[in-house]
Amino acid sequence: MIGAAIVLVVLVTLLIGARGVAAIRSTSDFLVASRRISPALNAAAVSGEYLSAASFLGVAGLVLKDGIGALWYGVGFAAGYVAMLALVAAPMRRTGALTVPDFAEARLGSAALRRLSASVVLVIATLYLVPQFKAAGLILTVVSGTPYWVGVVVAGAAVSITLALGGMRAATYVQAFQFGLKLLLFIVPAVWLVLQVGADTRREALSPVEFTRFERAAPVEFRLDVELTVTEPTPVAIAGRPPEVLTPGRYAAAAGSTWTFAKGAAVPEVAGSLPPGGADWSRPLLDPDGAGHPLLSTLSLLVATVLGGMGLPHILVRFHTSSDGRGARRTAAITVALLSVFYLFPGVYGALGAVLLPELYLAGGTDTVVVALPARVDSGWMGTLFTALLSAGAFAAFLATSLGLLLAMSGAVSHDLLPGATVRRLRLTTLGAAVFVVSVALPAAHLDVGALVTSAFAVAASTFCPLLVLGIWWARLTAPGAIVGMVVGLLASAGVIGASFILPAPPGLAAILLGQPALWSVPLAFVTMVLVSLRGRPPAWASAAMLRLHLDETEHSRR
Amino acid sequence: MTSPQTRLAMARHRPGARRQLPHLAPADLERARRIHRAQLRAALAAVGLLALLIVGLPVLLAAFPGLDGVRVGGLPVSWLALGVLPYPALVLLARWQLRRAERLERDRELP
Repeated sequence: MIGAAIVLVVLVTLLIGARGVAAIRSTSDFLVASRRISPALNAAAVSGEYLSAASFLGVAGLVLKDGIGALWYGVGFAAGYVAMLALVAAPMRRTGALTVPDFAEARLGSAALRRLSASVVLVIATLYLVPQFKAAGLILTVVSGTPYWVGVVVAGAAVSITLALGGMRAATYVQAFQFGLKLLLFIVPAVWLVLQVGADTRREALSPVEFTRFERAAPVEFRLDVELTVTEPTPVAIAGRPPEVLTPGRYAAAAGSTWTFAKGAAVPEVAGSLPPGGADWSRPLLDPDGAGHPLLSTLSLLVATVLGGMGLPHILVRFHTSSDGRGARRTAAITVALLSVFYLFPGVYGALGAVLLPELYLAGGTDTVVVALPARVDSGWMGTLFTALLSAGAFAAFLATSLGLLLAMSGAVSHDLLPGATVRRLRLTTLGAAVFVVSVALPAAHLDVGALVTSAFAVAASTFCPLLVLGIWWARLTAPGAIVGMVVGLLASAGVIGASFILPAPPGLAAILLGQPALWSVPLAFVTMVLVSLRGRPPAWASAAMLRLHLDETEHSRR
Repeated sequence: MTSPQTRLAMARHRPGARRQLPHLAPADLERARRIHRAQLRAALAAVGLLALLIVGLPVLLAAFPGLDGVRVGGLPVSWLALGVLPYPALVLLARWQLRRAERLERDRELP
């Protein structure tokens, strides 16, 4: 049934996509047809493309893992569109540029900057796509019980087939439909869960107590190799063996094994992870892995998500379907409202998960909390139905975002980095990009979906945000200034995050500054761009190139 | 059959192709300067308010941990301040900035 729901989502989106393609073929040009799209419809499409599997599953999972403070992710994701509205939307639309590489060349006339921007698109898209594929693989694993790698490969195949059949994400109304679908499939199960769990659970969810003892015999399916520290004699049945009592000490749980802890058993400790429900967990600030600087890491997350939202390659293309700069601005404003509705709900899943499924934090499977909750609440057909609905919604989220990002990636490769694009090569590079991302996602099982997406935002905030903001508002920006600033921003964000995957984590403050570098890498990129630009001279036409972005298209004499 | 998205990607400007240098008529130039200045002020005000909200709220919650204990309708105030309050504030801020930016565009003669 759950598999059927996912297949149904794919088929319906394909069908609507095919109708969209047919409708658009009857007009002379997609760009002309798009002029009729209203800001409200376009805002639904932007939201549809934006709400990824990381939003659908990841935020609630992070609430369970890192605490209520993880709700700042949703605030940052929505607030990014206020910054977009104020700083970027209308002028960016007026350049006629579809992507940041296009913008770079239109505004600063530099082919080198165009290629650099295209490379940054590849970095951002990869960082954004890997967690999407991980989440999709995870859903299929939960639904069908297959190993993780099968799930990721099947998700990759689903994307490739959809692309080969004509690219279902094509039309604006496919994305708008996707948004409606995701919103419905997220809110209805949330409301049902809240009503179904009963007054006691609701009260417990609002006044959580630390998860120290199993309140029921709970099977823990380890998704990763986890090292547990048992603090008192603990009765447990490991991998189907008869129950035994573990003496205090360290134990290794292998990925894929199931340990069933007896009712009332003490919860073992996991290194670097807080049990859900405790006092630290309930604090409204984000303190991942208990690094000890909650305010600083919350602010760094907010800087990355708010400023990074401006530079996401799959979203900027979407704004081009607005009729003019004013339409793009209205689209951004309505998007803020639509996303605000969605992000009210991840907290519901997170808070209920902390009461009903706290053992997921032991298993390294917090990302599955959304799809696991219905079956925990109702073991009958209702539970199965809502699991199916949520799985379908998460898969829809995965498809929408992944296809957009894969097309942005292949556009950057075949259009900006290599000369002479053809449709055939665009297709081939898209499939190649899908294969590449699947191969990167396979070893990424232990990474947090939400956290990895944040690094994509940090890179966008440290590179494209200063380029767009200064390019739109400051006439003295020069191409060398933009290039040096972007390289510095890229090294400070992607370079540092990459190094933190390889090197052992430094203690305390350094861990936050290196793991979430946006707080210092974004100002560094801005300052570098300004200082290098001031040392040179912009060309004579630079002032006109900037000023025309602020004139309403309908009023001034266009050429 | 190619998807519109593919065609959109194909229709993009060819890299390296010669393009006209951007220029504005003298009358437009003067007007554009005024609008740019006014829009910049408006945008900075909106971004300033946004920063006040998303920096001020965490600072406030860090400074007053006692808010975790205060409850409204069963919910801790600090959870409401994080999970609910920012969204209407963001929507209102977006609406305010949208209106101002559009008004600035409409006014042909700015002070």
